[in-house]
Amino acid sequence: MVSGTRPSRADYYRVLADGLQADALVVTALGNASYLWAAMRHAPENFYIEDAMGLALPLAIGLAVAQPARRVVVVEGDGAVLMHMGVLVTLGAVAPKNLTVLLIQNGVHAASGGQALTNPALDLAQLARAAGTRQAGNVATPEAFGAALHGALAADGPHVLVLATEPDLDVVRPPIALDPIATKLRFMGAIGAPRYVPAMFGGGRLM
Amino acid sequence: MTTGVPAADQHRPSELLDTLKRLGFGVAVAVPDSWLGEILVRIEQEPSMRLVRATHEEEALAIACGARLGGARTAMLIQNVGLLSMGAGMVCLAQRYQFPLLMLVSYRGTPEDPVFYHIPKGQATEPLLRGLGLAHARADPARPIGPQVEAAATYAEESSSPFTLLLSRKDIQW
Repeated sequence: MVSGTRPSRADYYRVLADGLQADALVVTALGNASYLWAAMRHAPENFYIEDAMGLALPLAIGLAVAQPARRVVVVEGDGAVLMHMGVLVTLGAVAPKNLTVLLIQNGVHAASGGQALTNPALDLAQLARAAGTRQAGNVATPEAFGAALHGALAADGPHVLVLATEPDLDVVRPPIALDPIATKLRFMGAIGAPRYVPAMFGGGRLM
Repeated sequence: MTTGVPAADQHRPSELLDTLKRLGFGVAVAVPDSWLGEILVRIEQEPSMRLVRATHEEEALAIACGARLGGARTAMLIQNVGLLSMGAGMVCLAQRYQFPLLMLVSYRGTPEDPVFYHIPKGQATEPLLRGLGLAHARADPARPIGPQVEAAATYAEESSSPFTLLLSRKDIQW
C-alpha cells in the first residue's frame, strides 16, 4: 500500500480546514488523525479521541443526534471501520442529516506502526452504500475532496467520503495537551451544552 | 412510596420509563434482549425521546458518549452480555473521559432466569463490574423501581461516570 503516490493526510486536512464552517463540530480518531488536526486547526469544537479504536464514528453519530443544528464531521480510519463494521449499518439506519464521515483509507493500522490490515483494499464507499448510506464515494485527490466536501457540507447527509491516503507513520506532536477531561469540558462549554445541577441544590437535572 | 400501592402491584417497566421521561432523558441507546424488546418499542413511541438501535454494545456505548457529549441526558438499555463485550470502550472512552451514563442492564443468568444458557453471563457480571471499577447496584424487587432509577441516574451525573443498574425481568419486561 505504501506507493508514495497518494495524497497525505495533511493534504486532505488542509482542504478540510479551508472548507469547514466555523461552527462545525469535528471528531477525530486516535493517533495522527487527532494529533495532526490539533496541530493544523485546534479549536474548542474539536473532540480528540485518545484511544478507543473504532469508536470515533459511533460517537459522532450520537453527537449528531444530540446536536442536530450543528454540522458534525468525523475523521475515522479504515482499520477502525474494519474493527466495528456494524456501525455502517447504524449510520445508514440513523442517517443523521448533519453528519459527514471522512474515512482515511491508508491500508494500514497507522497509529500502531503500520501493520497490515486484514483487507487493505475494500471498497468502503460501496460498503457504506450497501449498509444504507446512499451518499458515499471514493476520493483520490485533494481537489476532488474539496469539491466533495463542499457538496457534503451544503446538503443533507449523511455523507461518507473515503479518502485514498498515504500512510503517515511518524507521530505528529500535538501543540496542546490532549487531556481527555479537558477536551470534553472544553468541547461541551463551546457548544453550550446544558450543565447538570446537583440534586442537593434542587436540581437533579440538566439545565 | 407515595402512592400507597404495593411495589409488587405496580407495573415496573411503566414506572421505569416514566422516570426516564421525568428526568429529561432525551436519548436512549440500545441493543435488544428479549426482556427489553417491548420497552424499546415504547421508547420509540415517546416524542420526547430518541431511541438509537446499535449493532453491538461497544458501539452503543460510544453512541451514548457522543449523545451525552452533545448535551443530551442519555441512557443505555442492554443485556448484561453487553458489559462483557464493551470492555475496551468502557475503560478507554466512557471511564477515561468521565461520561455520566445511566446503564439499564437486564440481569440474565441469575437463579430467577429460566433460560439456562444465560448462566455464564450471570456468573461473570458482578465480578466484571467490580474489576472495571464500575459503580453499580442490583434493583431491589421489594421497592418501587422509579426511585432506584433516579438514584442511579443521579449517581452517574454526580460522579461523572457510568452507573449500572442491574434489572430483573419484572423491572423491564413490559
